[in-house]
Amino acid sequence: MNKHSKIFFTAILLQLLAITAFSQAEKNDLSLSISYFNSNNHIQYLVAHAKSKIDGKFQMIPNINLSFYIGTEDAANLLGKAVSNDKGDALLFIPPNAKDEWKKAAKVSFVIVSQKTKAFDEAKGNVDITKAKIQIDTLADKKITATLLELKDTIWTPVKAVDMKFAIKRLDADLNVAETPTYATDSLGVASADFKRDSLPGDSKGNLILIAKVEDNDTYGNLSSEKIVPWGKPITYYTEFGKRTLFARRGKSPIWLELLAYSIVLAVWGVLIYLIGQIKKMKKLGLN
Amino acid sequence: MESLAKEQIIKDLLPQKFGKAGKIWVGILLAFCTLGVIAYILQLKNGLVVTAMRDYVSWGIYISNFVFFVAISLVGSLITAVLRLTQAKWSTPLTRIAEIIAVSAITFASIIIVVDMGRPDRFYNLFIHGRLQSPIVWDVIVITTYFFVSILLLYFPLLPDMSIMMQRKDQTGMLWLNKLYAYLGKFWKNTAAQIHISEKAINILSITIIPVAFAIHTVTSWLFATTYRPGWDSTNFGAYFISGAFLVGAGAVVVAMFVFRKAYHLENYIKDDHFDKMGKVLVLLALLYLYFNVNEFLVPAFKMKKSEEEHLMGLFTGEFAYVFWFAISTAMLIPIFILIQKKGRKPLPAFIAGLLVVIGSWFKRYLIVTPTLLHPFLPMHDVPESYKHYFPTWQEWAIAMGSLAGALLVVTFFARIFPIIPIQETITEIEEHEQA
Repeated sequence: MNKHSKIFFTAILLQLLAITAFSQAEKNDLSLSISYFNSNNHIQYLVAHAKSKIDGKFQMIPNINLSFYIGTEDAANLLGKAVSNDKGDALLFIPPNAKDEWKKAAKVSFVIVSQKTKAFDEAKGNVDITKAKIQIDTLADKKITATLLELKDTIWTPVKAVDMKFAIKRLDADLNVAETPTYATDSLGVASADFKRDSLPGDSKGNLILIAKVEDNDTYGNLSSEKIVPWGKPITYYTEFGKRTLFARRGKSPIWLELLAYSIVLAVWGVLIYLIGQIKKMKKLGLN
Repeated sequence: MESLAKEQIIKDLLPQKFGKAGKIWVGILLAFCTLGVIAYILQLKNGLVVTAMRDYVSWGIYISNFVFFVAISLVGSLITAVLRLTQAKWSTPLTRIAEIIAVSAITFASIIIVVDMGRPDRFYNLFIHGRLQSPIVWDVIVITTYFFVSILLLYFPLLPDMSIMMQRKDQTGMLWLNKLYAYLGKFWKNTAAQIHISEKAINILSITIIPVAFAIHTVTSWLFATTYRPGWDSTNFGAYFISGAFLVGAGAVVVAMFVFRKAYHLENYIKDDHFDKMGKVLVLLALLYLYFNVNEFLVPAFKMKKSEEEHLMGLFTGEFAYVFWFAISTAMLIPIFILIQKKGRKPLPAFIAGLLVVIGSWFKRYLIVTPTLLHPFLPMHDVPESYKHYFPTWQEWAIAMGSLAGALLVVTFFARIFPIIPIQETITEIEEHEQA
């Protein structure tokens, strides 16, 4: 191999190394995390979050195919699959066929695995939760109590020193029942709050939905419990549906419009009918 | 005209058989109509997919044509009613031309709407599901009413002429024509009582047709203005449409005056003075329409709201700029320049100005209807590229041109069957003038 050939092959080799390094550098690490939700003690679901650090900033990654497992990453433990949305989130309701695996112990693990893509290598995430529930109740003078219980072996045991929120369910977000943001549970697992939102609009009977919740707890995940209370102001919803309006269906036009339109039509067509009568009159005059 | 004998007037104004040029003209119009019918059959067979109309532009040249026809039909009220009520006697030779243009245009406005619906049986849905709150229902009512008013306004002044034509059966040359005249006007004996009833009826119709004519074009403008879209969301639209309609109608009458004068040698009846006067009317109407155009475009352009910017810039300098400036120039600026000069109101230049007004006005209607639809407030996600632009398919062109040819054919056949200038009214006016 002469000198020129050596230089040439060295240059090619360096080029290939640079391309390989560059293509490897293009792939970012995908970070997966998972949140557990237990809504009102009967709807359980998981939300996976896919994000990656791109150009020094964390960005939510959409369109990531994710497989959800309970316990271990075995095909038999597959709960289902979901794809992350624009916010990098993928939601999966825990299906009934996971019942046996769920019942095995007081602590449960969930695993998510992403498929390898052009932009990201395969990634995993997991969460371990202890089964827990909230029992909500109300007392006189609009006092709310909630008890947090965790499953130890087969017994529901009170949990102390966990922050709990009390709120009223509204259309877009929950409204705290008082100015205090959180209430810690005592040794009996009980937290209590006073309802301070008088004259809050409720449904037609004045019912509101109270909610007690534990959010983003490392041990228990996200728990909530709801109770309907008649503490709101009854609101009668006014609807124009079925009434005579400009936007109503056929036959429900406003009376003023009908009067106006029909009067004009009758007046003009009255003239035309009169004139047709005049033609007949002229015919009579001409043919007699 | 004063020196013309009664018999000479009748001879001059009786309908004439088509000459060679007339036959060629009818042949061309029939060819266009046939092509239009073929295209319509294809549309019926394959559906509206044969057109370029999609989810964005759902109103294309069919609706532009509809608005154009409705606009041109307004001339019936201008010439027949407004000029009659203002005692403008000079307009007598033009009344029937104006009325037949109105009847023919309003007939094809109705036809083109059914074409735009796709399946014609959908028209039935307007009656069984139509809501009184909808301007579309008002449009159906007012178009039907205007059609009947125009037909009556055409029919009453025709009665004395039909009597004259029946007396000259040998000159008409066709048995079925004589039967038609007899069916329509056998009862007319020119008695004082009949004349009185007829004149009263014409006066009532002249008064009635004005609000109906205003209603027809205002309601048509409301089809657009009652929707919140850039370019349509305007309180100016009713007046803007009516002024434009008067302009195109008057332009069409000037064109028809020139053609009939040439074709039937009516120089003694449609004189240079008529072109001079109609030229002045046309200048006035063009200036009025220009004023409304300034209002319609300059005020939104001054504010340049974000929602209107794309639409306005598309017209001024963008995709539709050539058509926009062509329409403004041909419908208003050039005709004003021609007709404002005395020599510009001679028959030929007036005819050219009238023709420019008609052509420019057709494109103006296209600009009112289509560009707005290309800029929806809520654009569709991943919309196909073809939705973002509109250019009519050959089927749409054929149907649109076929309908225009059809309207001209109605006017042409009417002139073959009935006197295009009222015979009896002309004679009466001469007699009155001589007595005075």
